[in-house]
Amino acid sequence: MREIVTAKKSGTLQELVPRGLWERMKRHAELYLLFLPVALVYIIFRYWDISLGFIAVFKEMRVGQDVWASPWVGLDNFRMIFANPNVVRTIRNTIEISLLRLLFGFAPPIILAIIFHDLVWVRFKRVAQTLVYLPHFFSWVVLYGLVFALFSTGSGLINNLLAALGFQRVEFLLSTGWFRPILIGSDIWKSMGWGSILYMAALTNVDPGLYEAAVIDGAGPLKRIRHISIPSILPVIAFVLTLTIGNILRAGGEQILIFYNEAVFEVADVIETWVVRVGLGRFQFGVGIAVGLFQSVVGLILIVIGNSVSRRLAGRGIW
Amino acid sequence: MGLKPRGSELTYQIVIFFVALVVSISALFPLLYVVGVSLTSMPELISRNYFVIVPRHPTLGAYQRILRNPTIWNAFAISVARSTIGPVLSLVIMVLGAYVLSVRTLPGRRTLLMLIIFTMLFTGGLIPRYLVMRRLGLLNNFWVYVLPMLPDAFGLLVVKVFIENLPDGLLESAEIDGATHTQKLLFLAIPLAKPALAAVGMFAVVNHWNSWFDALVFVTRRNLHPLQMVLRNLITADNFHDAAIDILGDMTRVDTVSMRMATVVIGIIPMIMLYPFLQKYFVHGVFLGSVKE
Repeated sequence: MREIVTAKKSGTLQELVPRGLWERMKRHAELYLLFLPVALVYIIFRYWDISLGFIAVFKEMRVGQDVWASPWVGLDNFRMIFANPNVVRTIRNTIEISLLRLLFGFAPPIILAIIFHDLVWVRFKRVAQTLVYLPHFFSWVVLYGLVFALFSTGSGLINNLLAALGFQRVEFLLSTGWFRPILIGSDIWKSMGWGSILYMAALTNVDPGLYEAAVIDGAGPLKRIRHISIPSILPVIAFVLTLTIGNILRAGGEQILIFYNEAVFEVADVIETWVVRVGLGRFQFGVGIAVGLFQSVVGLILIVIGNSVSRRLAGRGIW
Repeated sequence: MGLKPRGSELTYQIVIFFVALVVSISALFPLLYVVGVSLTSMPELISRNYFVIVPRHPTLGAYQRILRNPTIWNAFAISVARSTIGPVLSLVIMVLGAYVLSVRTLPGRRTLLMLIIFTMLFTGGLIPRYLVMRRLGLLNNFWVYVLPMLPDAFGLLVVKVFIENLPDGLLESAEIDGATHTQKLLFLAIPLAKPALAAVGMFAVVNHWNSWFDALVFVTRRNLHPLQMVLRNLITADNFHDAAIDILGDMTRVDTVSMRMATVVIGIIPMIMLYPFLQKYFVHGVFLGSVKE
């Protein structure tokens, strides 16, 4: 017995003895070979974009001309971002829509998670959960179809209800005033159930004894939410907030691209939609690339800041 | 809490029950309404002011109108192709990366991991990506749906954490028997990580099925468009009648409202069918493990 133990120990010891890096890498050659396809797809489909972006952004991009052959123009492309009032408007819209999404979309998943955690009627809870998670799996195309069914002027349910009650019909989908509420409302409808899962997981990890002790001490439901539930999901809140703030320059372009139309550009056009429609569609490659990198750089900076704040306040960050 | 609720506890239970009820109904109602309208003829819709959940004279006319067009079936085939080939290839990349990066003795492991995580935080933007796709000859090419989605960093991390959390010794015991890493990957890691792979794979299927943006940006050839892209062109059309003529080649008078809603339902049905399987995985919380790490 003792022999086996010592033999095993010396074996692992030998493995742990630090040799040259080259030696250790050679011993893992098989693993590097297995990793090769992974490295290739990440280089070709992620890092190539990034490096091309950083080169092209300092060049004057002309249609049909190779990036390498184009002349260097320094920071001109970045200057053009702020010289173009349309682009400035898209940046302002992006930030406004992101903040509105945060303001109205942040609490619903938390409330839903607390409700699902506290509901004692298990069978009803299961059905309700099944229903509210479902819309997460629909595409924005389908979502717009549902919005159209409810809000369109002629055939929409709500307008027909208004008309039946003697009110004027409202052109919800063509109105600058209604665009953002509909955009954000339908997003909340789609994603709040799914968003609640993260918080639910944190709540199920709480020791049930804590709640029982609180009940015995005479703490009512609201007191338990304030002193047990909320503190226990605080790290998740910090996690979600950090990611959301890092994405402040991304306003959900895929959704807007489906939902918007020319009548509402003024309040709906965001960086992502502008890059598709004008940057790519009208070959304004230079500004398009610059504003895309601007999004990524600002996002990265915010996430790093958010992470350190979250570490200090909630005791953990996202990495 | 196994106690029978009383007093303030009872009030609380009643309040949260009603909130949950309202939320559930609001999740279900639009779906029922859309299905109802899609099954109703135009004259009945108009005579009932569109207040229809259960049609008096249900008709599948709108569905027949849409489904008799080869355009839809071609788009459906493209969607099925990308939603099967894409996830399978993505899983291969994920499991290779996840396995290699779960070996703690690998020199450079942390650096490789950081380089993969970085792709979640930083992108080159749409136009550089477009230029790369053009350079690779992937514009108007089916593979533009599949290849750019292979680097799925989040999925890779989920599988990696799952492999790392396997009971100690399962992978190490093979080392003593002298198995190579390729053997361990094929005969131990992949079978053991099956729950994580199934979950991640399911979500890759959903992502592929719901994608239309890549078709919009990279593919102009209409016969390469997936279902969601064709549905988008129909559903968001200002004038459904013109869109139906243009896209489906349907020249006859159409019941535009019920047909538009039937289009939406066609977009929903595959997800409803997949949903029970999906639910099994996300309820077990394979994903959450990785977030907590």
